[in-house]
Amino acid sequence: MQTLLDIKNLNVDFRTPLGRVHALRDINLKITKGKIVGIVGESGSGKSTIIWAITQLLAKNGIIESGTAEFENVDLLQADETTMMSIRGEKISMVFQDPMTSQSPVHTYEQQMNDIMYRKSNLSAGEKKQKAIDMMARVGIPDPESRIKQYPHQFSGGMRQRAGIAMSMLMEPSLLIADEPTTALDVTMEAQIIHLIRKLQKETETTIVVVSHNLGLIAELCDEVIIMYAGEILEAGNVEDIYYNSGHPYTKALLECDPAREIENTRKLPVIPGDIPDLHIKPKGCVFASRCNFSVEHCHSKKPTNQRVSSNTHMAKCHLLDPVFSQSTAQLKPRVQQVPQVTGQRFINKNEKHFLEVSNINVQFPLMGKVKATFKRVSNRFVDAVVDASLTIERGETLGLVGESGSGKTTLGRAILGLVDTKSGSAKFEGVNLCTLQQRDFKPLRREMAMMFQDPVGSLSPRQTVKSLLIEPFKIHNIDKNLEEEAKRLCDTVRLPENFLSRYPHELSGGQARRVGVARALALNPKLIIADEPTAGLDVSVQGEILNLMNELQDEHGIAYLIISHNLPVVRHISDKLAIMYLGRLVEIGNSTDIFNNPAHPYTEALVNGIPQPDPRKRRKLLSIEGEIPSLTNRPTGCEFHNRCKYAQPKCKVDIPKVKFLPGGRQVLCHFPLNV
Amino acid sequence: MSEIPFKARLIRLGSRTKKPDRTGVPFEKLILFSRNPMGVFGLILVLIVVISAVFAPIFATHNPFALDIANRLAEPSFDHFFGTDQLGRDTYTRVLYGGRVALQVAAIGVSVSLVIGLTLGMIAGYGPPWLDNILLLVFDAVRSFPTIVLALAAVALLGPSLSLVMTIVIITSIPGYARLARTSTLSLKNTEFILAGQSLGASMKRILLIHIMPNVIGPLLILAAMDVPVVVTIEAGLSFLGLGVQPPTASWGTILNEGYLIIRTTPWIVIAGGIPLILTTLGFTFLGESLRDVFDPRLRKGN
Repeated sequence: MQTLLDIKNLNVDFRTPLGRVHALRDINLKITKGKIVGIVGESGSGKSTIIWAITQLLAKNGIIESGTAEFENVDLLQADETTMMSIRGEKISMVFQDPMTSQSPVHTYEQQMNDIMYRKSNLSAGEKKQKAIDMMARVGIPDPESRIKQYPHQFSGGMRQRAGIAMSMLMEPSLLIADEPTTALDVTMEAQIIHLIRKLQKETETTIVVVSHNLGLIAELCDEVIIMYAGEILEAGNVEDIYYNSGHPYTKALLECDPAREIENTRKLPVIPGDIPDLHIKPKGCVFASRCNFSVEHCHSKKPTNQRVSSNTHMAKCHLLDPVFSQSTAQLKPRVQQVPQVTGQRFINKNEKHFLEVSNINVQFPLMGKVKATFKRVSNRFVDAVVDASLTIERGETLGLVGESGSGKTTLGRAILGLVDTKSGSAKFEGVNLCTLQQRDFKPLRREMAMMFQDPVGSLSPRQTVKSLLIEPFKIHNIDKNLEEEAKRLCDTVRLPENFLSRYPHELSGGQARRVGVARALALNPKLIIADEPTAGLDVSVQGEILNLMNELQDEHGIAYLIISHNLPVVRHISDKLAIMYLGRLVEIGNSTDIFNNPAHPYTEALVNGIPQPDPRKRRKLLSIEGEIPSLTNRPTGCEFHNRCKYAQPKCKVDIPKVKFLPGGRQVLCHFPLNV
Repeated sequence: MSEIPFKARLIRLGSRTKKPDRTGVPFEKLILFSRNPMGVFGLILVLIVVISAVFAPIFATHNPFALDIANRLAEPSFDHFFGTDQLGRDTYTRVLYGGRVALQVAAIGVSVSLVIGLTLGMIAGYGPPWLDNILLLVFDAVRSFPTIVLALAAVALLGPSLSLVMTIVIITSIPGYARLARTSTLSLKNTEFILAGQSLGASMKRILLIHIMPNVIGPLLILAAMDVPVVVTIEAGLSFLGLGVQPPTASWGTILNEGYLIIRTTPWIVIAGGIPLILTTLGFTFLGESLRDVFDPRLRKGN
């Protein structure tokens, strides 16, 4: 086995106004030629810093303290700029997380790809173009001859990432680095990109490094895995060794936290308590010791060394693996909050009329102004974001609204709260139709319902302290209470230390900001909370904490939740009912266990199968779904899913399906429901 | 901030949890400001200018209007720090009194146009599109007038006066503030924290005053601080044309103008009139930039 990249003793610091952050400490890793290597870690683990360091693209305040990185007989850390320029893009190339920001918006793909090939002076312009077209075809872009003349904004998200891969593969690099390549994509697209990378790797035998926080993606894609935490490599080895015989308590905990792993429906998700340590001080002992429940005195004072775990290539940095300690690794149970099965019936009141009844809501957004539409002779200047959506939520119940981006799920949530105007239909909250209410009459009702927004930090007003954010609901509704007390009470409810009250949103971590969001939503004891992507932007070890908190609060106060998410594996654990949305229509509604285990709509089935399993032995052979979500302005005829549906029949292309009621209170919008 | 990569920022944010809390630190912003050397320097300059103008009678060595033809165009001496002008008036004293006019115009002109511009801009940005379009049309129409020409027309109709100069300054600088406030408001309008406020039932007044204004005002303050010297020069320019401050009232503009005619023989008059202009410009610019750093918590350096 030939080593392509050999990093030894890499130490990287960042100068910050708060002092030096020791972002990487003693990184040693070897990347074998022809393998797909995954670097896994949560935010702040330093996984991307390694990449920036070896490409010499560290931010100005980053300093490489020591170390070597040998790549084809060149030390990447010492090489001068000319050498680096010839290596970057040609020998080492990168695929970035967000293709929209990493591709030039003012150049066509042809221009961008031509630019990459500038060093290939032996190729004529025609040959270069042909090469670019071939590459685009290879990554599965249909009609590459004409599409290559287009700009990034004319491509859809998935196509853009494919083009990004095409551009990075253009020079046939010996090392391809993919930094969170699927994080910005939907589940169905993610599966396609995984397959594409695997296919390309087989064909070209390129070495690929995938940096990700997503254990499912890594399991599907990689041969070797490196687990990072707080700037150190904690465990490295073969993918099967890591997933089946993990040695380090952190790896075990991380694997345990992945919600896709739980097969049974649980109302509680596992979490790793605690926070990532402050890296201004070099940790004396094991970095994970403060969050590890096996930590002994030794762990806090002495640095662990690499220990052999299950095979000679599988190493972990943990004292407990040291033969000096008698404890065997098999006894190590990770410190995750155990998952008690829910017993007893939760407070769901079913005898009165529906708590929230949404019927046939339609939402349209104008594409252009009236004048422009007349001028351009456009008859329909609106786009349908939500079409005939109907659902009910009972008191104390959780409904998970699941769909890919652009499915209209957020719009539906906002429409219910009157933040978006509806065209027709009604949303009855305890019998009152919210859609026809004037803002003035809506205001008292707003005490009864609250919304949590997608971006944990962005949904908090940046110039307000946590305290003024928490007491704002009381001020808006002129509630005369001891606001100081209320702020403290809310902090307490969401388990946020009281000294956070004086902080500003940007001083909070994602999880902490999310707690503030939960506290704000809870301030006036609402009966309904609409939560838009409550786990977006949170690490796996933290997302469980937030969802468990929401669950506890539900049990205590009998709150009904409408949880909007694209993350099916998370949502189904906390939802009583699921509603699946596609192109603005609800295609399936029903009990969450039933839907997850026996999807009736082919789209639901594709979503369920699209979840990457954190299990390298369960790699999918077949793509669950082809193609991409069509544009809302160009809806397919008949059943709108027919062009991506593998069960599609001639009838599906013509007739719009009607809602079918299945036993168990399920509804499905399909001519030929599955599993019936 | 921008040079710290995202991940490092996260590490930094994570590390904040271990920091002792900052509750109960009095005058926190003042302390932050005092740590910014550029801001302190700017503040000192501004204070020198302001104090010398406000307390001009105390610092003055002569009567600003007292003629002394025998001593006309005297060189700087212990008696006349900056010499005398064509009429033998003490230039140093006239510079001090000129500062009063300049700062009066600047303070009133800038603050009034800031407030009006901010209000109109936020309304344009947050309000319905038709209102936005009308206001934009008005802003652009006003902005298309060259200040000096507008002033000439106004003076021809109403006769020269200091209050007219100020009115012209206010009217012509409102569009700048309003446009800036409108753009920032527009980009904030659809952010989640504004939606969050709406979902709680917050009134438009509350959203504008509590959530939008603090985020919009930062760039406006810098613009205001940088506008102070511009306004001062407009006043000076108009006074030079005889449209602003009427003789014998002293103003930096008139001093510069008088000195300009005889720059070859008596350069000290131009220098004396120019130095306060430069100091004012530098002082307000530095002050403006550091104020922004202090008031925008996102730009705040670690403490």
